[in-house]
Amino acid sequence: MLRFALTRILMAVPTLLIVAVSVFALIRLIPGDPAALMLGDLADPANLAELRRKLGLDQSLAAQFGIWFGHMLTGDLGTSITSGQPVAGLVLAKFWISARVVLAAVLLASLVAVPAGMIAAWRQNSLTDLALVGTATLLLSIPTFWLGLLMLLLFGLKLGWLPVIGYVGFAEDAGRALLYMIMPVATLFLHEIGVLLRMARASTLEVARLDYITHARAKGLRESTVLWRHAFKNAFGPTWTLIGIVLGNLLGGIAVVETVFTIPGLGRLLVDSIFARDYPVIQGCMLFVAAVYVLVNLIVDLCYPVFDPRVTAE
Amino acid sequence: MTRRGLASAALLMGAFTAGAPALASSLRVQLNADIRSTSPGVNRDDNTDAVVLHVVEGLVAYGDNAEVKPLLAESVAVSDDGRTYTFKLRKGVKFHNGAELGSADVLWSWQHYMNPKTEWRCLAEHDGRGRAKVEAVDAPDADTVVFRLDRPSALFLANLARTDCGMTGILHQDSVKPDGSWDKPVGTGPFRFTEWKRGEYIRLSRHEAYASRDGGPDGYAGSKRPLVDELRFIVVPDSSAAKAGLLRGDLDVVPNIPNADVRELEKEPKVQLSISTNMGTVGVLLQTRDPLLANVKLRQAIAAAIDTEQLVAAVTEGLGKRNNSIVPLTSRYYGAVEAQGYEHDPATARRLLAEVGYKGEPLVLFTNKRYPASFEAAVIVQAMLAAAGINVRLEVLEWATQLDRYNAGNYQMMAFLYSPRLDPALSFDAIMGPKDKQPRKVWDDPEAQALLDRAMVVSDPAERQRLFDELHRRFIAAVPMLMFYNGIDPGAVSRRVKGYRSSIFSKPLLWEVGLAD
Amino acid sequence: MKLPAPNALLGSVIVGGLIIAAAVGAVWTPYDPLAIDFKARLAAPGAAHWLGTDEFGRDVLSRLMAGATTSAWISLLTVISAIVAGTAIGVFTGYVRGWADRAIMACNDALLAFPGILLALGLLAVVGANPYGIILALGLAYTPSVTRIVRGTVLGLREKEFIEASRVLGNSESYTMWRHILPNCVAPLTVLATSMFGWVLLAESALSFLGLGVPPPAPTWGNMLSAARPFLEQAAWLGIFPGLCISLTLLGINLLGDAVRDRLDPRMRGI
Repeated sequence: MLRFALTRILMAVPTLLIVAVSVFALIRLIPGDPAALMLGDLADPANLAELRRKLGLDQSLAAQFGIWFGHMLTGDLGTSITSGQPVAGLVLAKFWISARVVLAAVLLASLVAVPAGMIAAWRQNSLTDLALVGTATLLLSIPTFWLGLLMLLLFGLKLGWLPVIGYVGFAEDAGRALLYMIMPVATLFLHEIGVLLRMARASTLEVARLDYITHARAKGLRESTVLWRHAFKNAFGPTWTLIGIVLGNLLGGIAVVETVFTIPGLGRLLVDSIFARDYPVIQGCMLFVAAVYVLVNLIVDLCYPVFDPRVTAE
Repeated sequence: MTRRGLASAALLMGAFTAGAPALASSLRVQLNADIRSTSPGVNRDDNTDAVVLHVVEGLVAYGDNAEVKPLLAESVAVSDDGRTYTFKLRKGVKFHNGAELGSADVLWSWQHYMNPKTEWRCLAEHDGRGRAKVEAVDAPDADTVVFRLDRPSALFLANLARTDCGMTGILHQDSVKPDGSWDKPVGTGPFRFTEWKRGEYIRLSRHEAYASRDGGPDGYAGSKRPLVDELRFIVVPDSSAAKAGLLRGDLDVVPNIPNADVRELEKEPKVQLSISTNMGTVGVLLQTRDPLLANVKLRQAIAAAIDTEQLVAAVTEGLGKRNNSIVPLTSRYYGAVEAQGYEHDPATARRLLAEVGYKGEPLVLFTNKRYPASFEAAVIVQAMLAAAGINVRLEVLEWATQLDRYNAGNYQMMAFLYSPRLDPALSFDAIMGPKDKQPRKVWDDPEAQALLDRAMVVSDPAERQRLFDELHRRFIAAVPMLMFYNGIDPGAVSRRVKGYRSSIFSKPLLWEVGLAD
Repeated sequence: MKLPAPNALLGSVIVGGLIIAAAVGAVWTPYDPLAIDFKARLAAPGAAHWLGTDEFGRDVLSRLMAGATTSAWISLLTVISAIVAGTAIGVFTGYVRGWADRAIMACNDALLAFPGILLALGLLAVVGANPYGIILALGLAYTPSVTRIVRGTVLGLREKEFIEASRVLGNSESYTMWRHILPNCVAPLTVLATSMFGWVLLAESALSFLGLGVPPPAPTWGNMLSAARPFLEQAAWLGIFPGLCISLTLLGINLLGDAVRDRLDPRMRGI
């Protein structure tokens, strides 16, 4: 187990290297220039050249990469072009803000979606099944920016229960911070239910057909015992993998929710930095997100044998 | 969540909203993106200028009609040769730290801006690379500052007052740390810089000792009394969320709502609107070096195929007024000549197309979604040209990509927005110039350029009017771009807010704005 | 032959209707989907425009029909390419293991860890803002998820008796892979594929919303949905109809997907 974990951590190094190189290359392939964006339509060539020199954009790509990579090895991710802040601190601070929302949403969604998916599978082709699958599909097909806006209008504006603008950190006032988290978490939660419910349903259907379930039934075990003791454990495996993927994707995709609910999180930072072509921040964000993703999936894989006894850790 | 949970959450919320604002009056203003820095004219964008110009003030500033007026200066005298500017400072003006403004502060600020390490964006205007070089700045006494130029310039004061230059705001030396690096702006403005929570909000508080001019509000000049204890600029990137915040009472001012929301918010009892026309330009650039568009007749055919009136009415929901001229509607130089625009005439368009021998060769029109007005104009242009038999394909680019193409001149047609220039000469300068040296320039015509160069130097309004009139006639004939209208800023504010008016600057001005109880 | 389950029947009806709408939309729509009518801006659903008009006075029904065609083939091609590529890589790495597996999974994880926004923006900027750019960008963004799921399934199956048996019987690796492992990946893949349909239909609308999208001028359901958002209160139909189309499509594909899986799943035969 320990060896497996160590190997996986070592394997993360090439993954992160690939991410580093490809992020660097990709954002420079995209047209656009941070210096030009800073000056906008008022740019005159002299100003532009000066700013480019100051930002180090006049050097060759290889040299730029060398400088960035060298600094990165010493733990220095550089400073933001737009705000002048150190990237590492910026990314870390924003990450905690986003992570809270994502973790809460995925945890809640799993708690609801996995049992619901199993019930749907158990009652396959019944009205319950159709209702659950229908709901999941509906939730899946409402974009989060619509769902978020509907919530803002309903709970914020019409009912006046929840605040619509602003953000409060937990350090400032935990009670209000929770209040501000309700709508973004609920939005993501409803969306993820759609994904997870259907996966859980499919995995359960899969397992339900296996022989040992038939055996278990044949032995005269109660239906609920069969469901929880035998089916659940096995069905949870693929769903668990999906939870890992969803967590990783959410970190990148949370930008939408953060825009609607004015949360100063990592997704918003990434999108704003892409707009501004703030190269050091984009690179820092991406590397960090990749590292977190690798970590989350390592944990998922380490837990996999717990749920699926047939797989042993390598 | 249970019903009881929701109810108690609602109660909690009620307690908070009721408790907070009683202590101090706070005006909450939407910003659609965070500011970039607090240093005037350095690492800035429109939002940064909007916030910083509440904190610092310059010797001169733009008034409501885009004329340059004294602000920290009591008076400005120009010598007969147009090369010496003498500023008399107002007495009794206090910095936020209590120090009194004197000529030494102006000298210190000027050195700060002229130091290349500051990276002031307007350095090039004054250090000899621009039209006139500031050769010397002296302070003969505590209330007088004298600037000496190497040649006369009609735009020296206008450049000092430019909002993107941070109004060349006069700073106290406490603005920088002992090591010379930037700390925070200590200026003379109606509000004091208090707190910046990045990505969340900026807080400014009332400058109790603010010395206001008299004569009522007048753009960045005039009286500028702070009437609230605190300004809070809140970053809300999504305009629908900002609208909800305004209606719920979480925001007091949304400086620029989408045009499409105007009709809806007009009906809201809790909200009042203030709509202004700014000096920005909304139009479509035509690349005169493109093999097809190099033919002036094709460009004229395009202009004749566009019904500007209808286009502007649709894009601005009937709020904007057509203007085919580079001279802004609100400028004192906008006259009868400038009102003569393109003539919408499908027959002319057909005739010109036949003369050119146009056979449906495709043209690509770039646009972006960052500026909705620009996008909508492009959609309508495409449809109108299609009706006239001109085959245009719309391609939507991300803004940075489009800007890249703009700077390289790499396009056939491009829907574009120019930010406000406060002098017609600067508006023309934005589009005119040699394409060989500056590919971003739209209109490359040496004869017209000579007219513009003259308008940059002469100060006599009658002479300038003549020059702008001539430039406009040539602009309409050559069609280097289709100009449609000057941008409009519909600002929406809560009914509690008293005295808010949208400005021509495309930025909220929050002095002389109060809150009713 | 048994009657199909009611779910499958409902699924077929929905998907069938969709295919017909897309086919008709490709050749005929009530109005030109790009034609602007200033006199009928934001018209509510009525006799002239059954589903109303948008902010340019364009007919929503015509745009939905034209959008069905575009949306259908964009999402179909994206899903197919992601599934084919991802399955091939996933089965291969899951089965062979060793260094090849590690190298490929390192690349795969790198790709997975890439937020889709940046990948899509980057590729669209390079390939160009056309449907092929979207297919390539989204296909590439979804392939690694497929790879991971398939590999996970393969790892789970490897140890099962019937795989061992096939090997003991002397069957070649590729035969074992084709005959025994691939069919067992079908169930999780149908689920993923049906989810992916939804993601693709919505991905471009999310990109558009963030301002990163580069929507083609032709209408798709996704870009209609995001363009409608500012009009939620004034003209709700602008968002409701494309939203309903997406929901219905997904429901149909889901139900049909379940039925297809039941047919293909080896353990279901003979039941």
